[in-house]
Amino acid sequence: MPARVFAIALNTFREAIRNRVLYLLLVFAVAMISFAQILSLLTVGSEDKIIKDFGLASIDLFGVLTSVFIGIGLVSKEIERRTVYTLLAKPIHRYEFVLGKYAGLVLTLLVNTAVMTLWFLIILAVKGMFDPRLLLAVLLLFFQFLLITALAVLFSCLSSPILASVFTLCLYAIGHLLWSLDLLQAKLKGGAARALCDVLYYLLPNLANFDIKGQVVHGLPVAAGTLGLAAAYLVLYGAAVLSVACAVFQRKELQ
Amino acid sequence: MRPEAKHQARRMPALLALVALGAAILVQGLIEARAHDRSAVHPLLYLPSGKYLKVAALGFDDILADLIYLWSIQYYGDYAIQERYDYLEKIYTEVIAELDPRYIDPYLIGSLIMSAEARKPEMALRLLDKGFEKNPDQWILPFEAGFVCYDNLKDYVRAAAYFEKALKVPGVHPLVRRLYAGMYERAGDKRTSLREWAEIYETAGDDYVRQVSASHVHDLKVEVDLMDLKDAAARFRRQAGRPPGRLGELAARGLLREIPLDPEGRDYLYDRDRGEVSYRGSLVLAR
Repeated sequence: MPARVFAIALNTFREAIRNRVLYLLLVFAVAMISFAQILSLLTVGSEDKIIKDFGLASIDLFGVLTSVFIGIGLVSKEIERRTVYTLLAKPIHRYEFVLGKYAGLVLTLLVNTAVMTLWFLIILAVKGMFDPRLLLAVLLLFFQFLLITALAVLFSCLSSPILASVFTLCLYAIGHLLWSLDLLQAKLKGGAARALCDVLYYLLPNLANFDIKGQVVHGLPVAAGTLGLAAAYLVLYGAAVLSVACAVFQRKELQ
Repeated sequence: MRPEAKHQARRMPALLALVALGAAILVQGLIEARAHDRSAVHPLLYLPSGKYLKVAALGFDDILADLIYLWSIQYYGDYAIQERYDYLEKIYTEVIAELDPRYIDPYLIGSLIMSAEARKPEMALRLLDKGFEKNPDQWILPFEAGFVCYDNLKDYVRAAAYFEKALKVPGVHPLVRRLYAGMYERAGDKRTSLREWAEIYETAGDDYVRQVSASHVHDLKVEVDLMDLKDAAARFRRQAGRPPGRLGELAARGLLREIPLDPEGRDYLYDRDRGEVSYRGSLVLAR
């Protein structure tokens, strides 16, 4: 099984790096990271906060966009172009196909994030602002991309690329807004409504687990175990989402 | 189609694009010229509170705070906008401070604009209080608040209270202690000021601080001693119905524990006829 998944992953990676959208996003990311240097000239006070904030936000934003816009077409485009039939005619399980597609995009994201991070680090090194903790923030952002990719793959198995992108972006927004459920719960009086808030809080993907940008930029301590817990959350939640995606694709009628 | 015509036809879209872009730039210039009303209220001033913006920022609240801060510096630095201070507190205290409470620069620059430019020192103090509440490890915030009280409000007691807050934060700059001592002096509490300056003198790490604090201790000791002696002499006059014959009588009657000597170790001068006490030397600091 790993060999078949790996072969699909490699093929997906080759296909992704031929996608112009990837390069367009990468160019915008690199441009935005570079632009921070010019913008920092306008500030009064420390320039490094502006440069670090912009760098991390660019990696975050463009990483998410890459996950969404490439992830959503992974399965549905194969069905649309009917290439999936050729592939599934071979001794490949459907879940291997889904996992291979996911792994291919993970590889693409790894390269994409590495390029953005490298450019960001070059700028920081030139400016003498390098802080190794920024790498920890980038690693957690990468974890976030992996979870979003899993969601994009799930929606790609369920619906058309447009709907899949809408659903994934909505879950991305929700994933960053879950803390507001706490505020809502405090205002609610009914026990059932409060319980529903709790259920939603734990059921929906909590992307705040992967966001330590502010702490790193301000030099605040990051709680011990943050990385380990975030990795465990990614593995477990990601496994759950991919299992659902595999199950959906398993039952999908391909005509 | 002839080859030349074909070549021309190929160049047409590029030419059209250039012309259209040039025209668009011209139109934008016209729009800028028409809409450049400097007195108009900038739309960013209508931003909702940072608490709500934080929700909409989806994890990008830090960068949003950076952008609004950068914009604010340019906006408040534009002297052509007459009513630019109308929403000053909202931008700094409600928006930027809520979006990124650990961002120290906006507290410092915002309070500077409020106190020095807009002449609203109380507003600056509210911003700095909020900053210190969110960043209790930053001595610079109560220090700035103390400076606003000292420089803008001339409220030296309040300034001393802020400097005292700053002094409790680890890593505070030694200058704060000197300002703290100086505030009591300006507020008229010479005795507390003398005690603070004496401690600064004893713990001074360099010659400059030692020299400055020694001058303050010298002058304050003279002032405190003269104040004590004059006060005791006045009480003596009320009790005995006459002025004291010599300063030693003040201690003998229990009005002073001992008669202080001046910083040079000499007796203070006493004019029995006029009942006045004075210092025979001169003060080091011209105040």
